[in-house]
Amino acid sequence: MRTDEELMELYRRGSRDAFEMLFARYHRKVIHFAYRMTGDEAKAEEAAQETFLRVARAAPTWQPTARFSTWMYTIARRTTLNFLRDEKDEGDKVSIPPGEESGDGSPAPQLPGPSALNPEEIAWSAEIQVRFAAALQQLPESYRSAFVLNRGEGLSYEEVASVLGITVQAVKSRIFRAREMLMESLSELLP
Amino acid sequence: MKCLDWKEKISGYIDGEISSEEARQVEAHLETCGECRTLERRMRAIGTGVARVETDVPPDFREKLFTRLEAEELLPRRRSLFVFSLRWAAVPLAVAASVAVFLFVSPEKGKDAGAPQPTATSSKVSPQAESQPSNAAPGKGQPVATAAAGLSVEEREIVANLEVLEDPAAIDEQGDPDTIEIFEPSVRRQG
Ligand SMILES: [Zn+2]
Repeated sequence: MRTDEELMELYRRGSRDAFEMLFARYHRKVIHFAYRMTGDEAKAEEAAQETFLRVARAAPTWQPTARFSTWMYTIARRTTLNFLRDEKDEGDKVSIPPGEESGDGSPAPQLPGPSALNPEEIAWSAEIQVRFAAALQQLPESYRSAFVLNRGEGLSYEEVASVLGITVQAVKSRIFRAREMLMESLSELLP
Repeated sequence: MKCLDWKEKISGYIDGEISSEEARQVEAHLETCGECRTLERRMRAIGTGVARVETDVPPDFREKLFTRLEAEELLPRRRSLFVFSLRWAAVPLAVAASVAVFLFVSPEKGKDAGAPQPTATSSKVSPQAESQPSNAAPGKGQPVATAAAGLSVEEREIVANLEVLEDPAAIDEQGDPDTIEIFEPSVRRQG
């Protein structure tokens, strides 16, 4: 099986099929990544489209020495950042995540009990997913991206460091801080 | 060491990002400390949860993207159907040519081994053509990548969606997989 880097090189030389292969390998990952980063399906789709467009546009400058996946996630992360910034520029209200105590007395959705997220016996539900997606949005972007790249996308600390342009030690600490904050905000869901 | 000091190490331990020596220390502490075992369980649950935050790929995602890519001329076009129809026509053409030659030759010396042997000889895309893609008109004569060997299920799904399906049998797995074999209608070669 061809490596991502070989496919990228073939695409640069004019192979459509190589791009199709890269798309097949990565489009789901990129959409999930963008969703974890934005917490919004429409934005995730748009950011993922934009990521692939940027990958294609930047292909001529891609260095075959770079790992394709880290290069692509660097682009994906910057793209999602733009979408998040655009939202702020437009002065959109920060939406209140479903289930959060919003102070207006609206009841939180019915959630499964504390054992719901026991890794041995996960009863994953749409509600829990929405809670997680919302909790991620409450993290500082630098923590969120580190944690999502590692736990969500399966990148090693070193790869995350490369994507974010920070040290491995900084990755370690951001991921730890992300975990702490998420454990606090999702406390009642945890085993 | 206080439990507080173990926290970040446990986070790195979960991610497989600490040394084996440190991992042994963490494991030894976890055996003796219920509080940290709870912490570890909750930290794992957080990571599992984030990995499960996903969204569906919109059904028109690929089409939308590829339309945009084509609009920006970022995607090499498939070779014209004419080329492919020639290719698919090669086998019947070759058969027809054989029959024609046979009919032509047989009245005189049907078993003459010296008679032209019109076979569906396949020849690779010429290496020159591939190494000088800049000479080719845009979108035409691009080297065609085929990586049908060792495809994942997902990749096969995409390949199945290609507008023009490559014939896997036509791919020379032993040879240079960068090129595909093209049947040149033998009638032409013989002028
Ligand atoms: Zn402890």
